[in-house]
Amino acid sequence: MFAQIVAICIFLAMFMLIILDKFERHYVTLGSGALVLVLVFGICMRSMSAIWETLNFGAFFESSFWYGASEESTAGINWSTVVFIAGMMIMVEGLGKAGFFRWLCLTLAKLVRYRTVPLLICFMALSAFLAMFIDSITVVLFLATVTLELAQTMKFDPVPMILSEIFCANLGGAATMCGDPPNIIIGTSLGYTFFDFIENTGVVVAVCFVLILIYFTFCFRKELKRAEQANGGPVTCPEPSTAIKNKAAFLSSAVVFLIAVALLITHAQTELTVAFIGVIVAALTLVVLGLTSGKKSVIEIMRGVDYQTLLFFIGLFVSVAGLEKTGVLNVIANFIMSVSQGNIAVIVIIILWVSAITSAFVDNIPFAATMIPVIRAIAAAEGMDIGVLAWALSLGTDLGGNATPIGASANVVGTSASAKGGYPIGWGRYCKYCVPATIIVMAASTVYLFLRYL
Amino acid sequence: MKNQIIIALGREHGSGGHYIADMIAKEFGIKLYDKDSIEAEIVSDGYSEELIRKMDEKPVNFFASRRVGKYSNSLEVNVAEKTFAMLRSKAASGESFLIIGRCGEQVLKDNPNLISIFICGNQQFKLMRVMDKLGVDAEKAIEEIKAVDRSRKNYHNYYCETKWGDARGYDMTIKSDVLGCEETAKMLIAYIRSFMEQE
Repeated sequence: MFAQIVAICIFLAMFMLIILDKFERHYVTLGSGALVLVLVFGICMRSMSAIWETLNFGAFFESSFWYGASEESTAGINWSTVVFIAGMMIMVEGLGKAGFFRWLCLTLAKLVRYRTVPLLICFMALSAFLAMFIDSITVVLFLATVTLELAQTMKFDPVPMILSEIFCANLGGAATMCGDPPNIIIGTSLGYTFFDFIENTGVVVAVCFVLILIYFTFCFRKELKRAEQANGGPVTCPEPSTAIKNKAAFLSSAVVFLIAVALLITHAQTELTVAFIGVIVAALTLVVLGLTSGKKSVIEIMRGVDYQTLLFFIGLFVSVAGLEKTGVLNVIANFIMSVSQGNIAVIVIIILWVSAITSAFVDNIPFAATMIPVIRAIAAAEGMDIGVLAWALSLGTDLGGNATPIGASANVVGTSASAKGGYPIGWGRYCKYCVPATIIVMAASTVYLFLRYL
Repeated sequence: MKNQIIIALGREHGSGGHYIADMIAKEFGIKLYDKDSIEAEIVSDGYSEELIRKMDEKPVNFFASRRVGKYSNSLEVNVAEKTFAMLRSKAASGESFLIIGRCGEQVLKDNPNLISIFICGNQQFKLMRVMDKLGVDAEKAIEEIKAVDRSRKNYHNYYCETKWGDARGYDMTIKSDVLGCEETAKMLIAYIRSFMEQE
């Protein structure tokens, strides 16, 4: 009981400090993780085995970590997530340096002849597609940067386009296992594959994307058309080729990206784990960029990796393990079951909507990491398929984050990039468009879960 | 003799900081950057006068904002960063100026022509000035002083390594009530003049 109280206090303090933003969030989770190891496992539980299980270093030495269908240990650091994200970060850094994203954006803009409404639709589609494979922060950052540049030349307000890009990046990320961090954690923790996500969350995301495409086009078409007409004559925009500084580096980075996509799509068949895929794409990126751009660029890429986020994940997993091993998460699971009185439909609704509402205001990564043991316990107690709960959790955390400017990292980065470019986006303007859009996709997700699984 | 002088002046509410800053700026014939002039400098299509006025020198609302690396959705942060960029650009252009608050002493700390001052005062002195200026009773004036100083402190401490009003973060901290505003300004002018005469 005492261990439970200590674990809850540490976790709540961690959550509050993340919200208050006084310290870098990786310091907060690492500090919290250290306290869990020392106070909860060391002093309260006097369990060295809990510490070792939580640190989970043994995972690296298991063949299933690298190859074969695997399921992570129930508590502790999910190293598969950490290694995969690190690998993808290196690849994305390489792609960015080679000018891949900028080239892609400018090429699409040229294809639609720099007309604003087709550009809006294209960028929404590009945002959703790229976010299926790489992190939505990078997608939004590059798209927002090009949008601001085009807005300056074509004289339109970039905010509508940036809002649509942010929303679609979060939407696209929900479709696959590697799109959004909560999905990576859910996938690696519960042993799902890329195609499991495509077949389950991907289907409803495709429907939502069409709805959102119509919604945002309806919201912004008049404003964008008016700007296009006011601008009148032809515009001179940067040529896509200007994005490429080193053709060999560009082509090789693009090939690595395609290999990563192919490996992710086929990983159920090849039985390569996402951790192994992360290592492969990182190694390939470093080798090809070393050969095409020299050692210096390899060092630059390694420096560009967001180590803070990786440390944040490690600390977070330890903190969540504190709750799990002390049985706190079972209490939450029991509470949800008692509220729902064993009604599966009510459980799914609770998981979906509580995840969505919570994710709209707090970081969805800690929430998803915390909820995985909860849904596992519910599924075991109710004797139900964990899949429906996993998809409800995934959709809730990924899509709910769209509602506010602080709901997801991509929202923060997109609104910040817009502000730095001279177009600040406040809560009012953001929520005016994104809250209704979030309600639309959440309603669609609710209907989908009911029709397909219940 | 220095060709450029940048004065960063922090102040407690009611200490007469703005009044003293005005006297110093006039004496040296340099521009004074305060709320109005900063607003005029950074206003643009996206950043309206209303928005800047609302967010300028305001602390971050932690429950409505989030940071991801160097990115923040907070309008307070974005307006502050725009202000800091404007100050850096002015300093780099060689312009001499006086900046009131806005973390000037930290933002421009690497500039050799910067001199930083913090003006404080005893409670009674500040109270009388605020009551006189706003035409309010003592109770309201105390509340106003507390609220404004808390806001300035939170704003400053969010962006700066040093603490607001801590003498170690400034070249000089001075209580304006000891000599009165005019005499304090004269003393500071002499101090700044000596600083300018240095190589």
